[in-house]
Amino acid sequence: MRRSNEPLFWSLFSAGGVVAALLVPVLIVLTGFVVPAEEIRFDRLEDIFTNVLVRLVLFGLAFLAFFHAAHRFRHTLVDMGLKPLALQIAVVCYLAALAGTVWAATVAFR
Amino acid sequence: MARPYPRTTSNTWWLKRWPYRIFILRELSAVFLAAYVVLLLVLVSKVHDGAKAFEDYLDVLQSPLLIAFHVVALLFMLLHTVTFFQAMPKGLPMRRGEELMPPALMIGGNYVAWLMVTVVVAAIFLV
Amino acid sequence: MSDATTTEERITLEVTRYRPEQDERPTSQRYEVPFHKDWVVLDALNYLKDHVDGTLSYRWSCRMGICGSCGMMVNGVPKLTCAAFLRDYRPGPVRVEPLANFPVERDLVIVLDDFMEKLQAVKPWIIRDEERPLSEGEYRQTPEQRAAYEQYSMCINCMLCYAACPVYQNKEEFLGPAVLALAQRYNLDSRDQGRQQRQELVWAEEGIWDCTFVGECSVVCPKHVDPAGAIQQAKVQSMIGWYRSFLMPFGGKSERE
Repeated sequence: MRRSNEPLFWSLFSAGGVVAALLVPVLIVLTGFVVPAEEIRFDRLEDIFTNVLVRLVLFGLAFLAFFHAAHRFRHTLVDMGLKPLALQIAVVCYLAALAGTVWAATVAFR
Repeated sequence: MARPYPRTTSNTWWLKRWPYRIFILRELSAVFLAAYVVLLLVLVSKVHDGAKAFEDYLDVLQSPLLIAFHVVALLFMLLHTVTFFQAMPKGLPMRRGEELMPPALMIGGNYVAWLMVTVVVAAIFLV
Repeated sequence: MSDATTTEERITLEVTRYRPEQDERPTSQRYEVPFHKDWVVLDALNYLKDHVDGTLSYRWSCRMGICGSCGMMVNGVPKLTCAAFLRDYRPGPVRVEPLANFPVERDLVIVLDDFMEKLQAVKPWIIRDEERPLSEGEYRQTPEQRAAYEQYSMCINCMLCYAACPVYQNKEEFLGPAVLALAQRYNLDSRDQGRQQRQELVWAEEGIWDCTFVGECSVVCPKHVDPAGAIQQAKVQSMIGWYRSFLMPFGGKSERE
């Protein structure tokens, strides 16, 4: 019996949802408002983003967030009426998430 | 000669009632999540590129468009956080004997964790 | 049609009519009925049928929220008409339509074959590997074991959840909230050994994975079954089962709890 592969994507979606819920609000405030307000020195940012742990967390966040968004967006498009294109939409969304993850690796581990 | 009237489907079902509209907004928060993570990665790559690149990028971050984006993204992510925490007890009911752990306990626990993470991350950046 | 000497309050109902032998499509007909503060919509419909228009067709039975027969759309929301008080819809008009997402047989009567087929397909009864002989006595269950599935056993098959579910609206193959909640009810029952038999349907795409947790099914459920919660729990179980089958591909035992 062919088992659906949804559980894999759903598990990434769930993990991404938790990680995003915990980390992203504060990150938006910091990088979207505090940084442009020039309240954080450049060297500080450099220290932070070259730290090994931060690199790993950043990569993990990006990977899970992209797959969370891909899963949710794909299902929402289907819910909103694009059911006939469900398979194509899924492929495009998850490939985009994969591309994003690869790019995130190049940024996080530079 | 029964001739049932076929069921009607609709592509605008989500506009018809308030709970459906909130559902769609909740789901669309994921788009803002992805967009923000992209911007975050751009910021990090500018930092890796050096002080000059970073200074130039600051101009972009200070533009009204990007400030507005971050405001909207923050609102959507708060919507995500609130609805996601609310949903978690539904999928993971904790039962001890006959008693079900009150969902509020798990939801509250999530917010405690959220607060702790927020404080730690803010400290890393600001302290 | 109001009597000039009476100060009786009235309320207007806009009721869907559909007579396949003469109508191309459903239409709306307005009726005026007396308003009583202790009346429910079903009372208004019964008054209507008894005194105003005997040709109206609709389902009802117990009038106390346990049979699940009288589900209809009241002002666009799925409701048991025996539980929808007229006073909450004052001054009206009150729109009464057949339960959404089902074909309409006649007037307010829907065709519920799809639901019935799906219900049977998910085998909502205790399944044993081997039937227990009568001589061994009854199955015993602790209060804890009973509590594990009790909430999901409250379903009265009223189908309000199907009327509220946008996934079911756009994809008829979706098993739907009540059927999935009932599958969960039996999977969680300590007396049941039939989880694997239900899994093929429940863990399929048209089972739990079509659900996007809109959550309206649980909001409209008159018995607080929380089918949305049941489905999310089944997703967690399915996810664990899926990872197990990867990490332990030769461990057949993993399917069997």
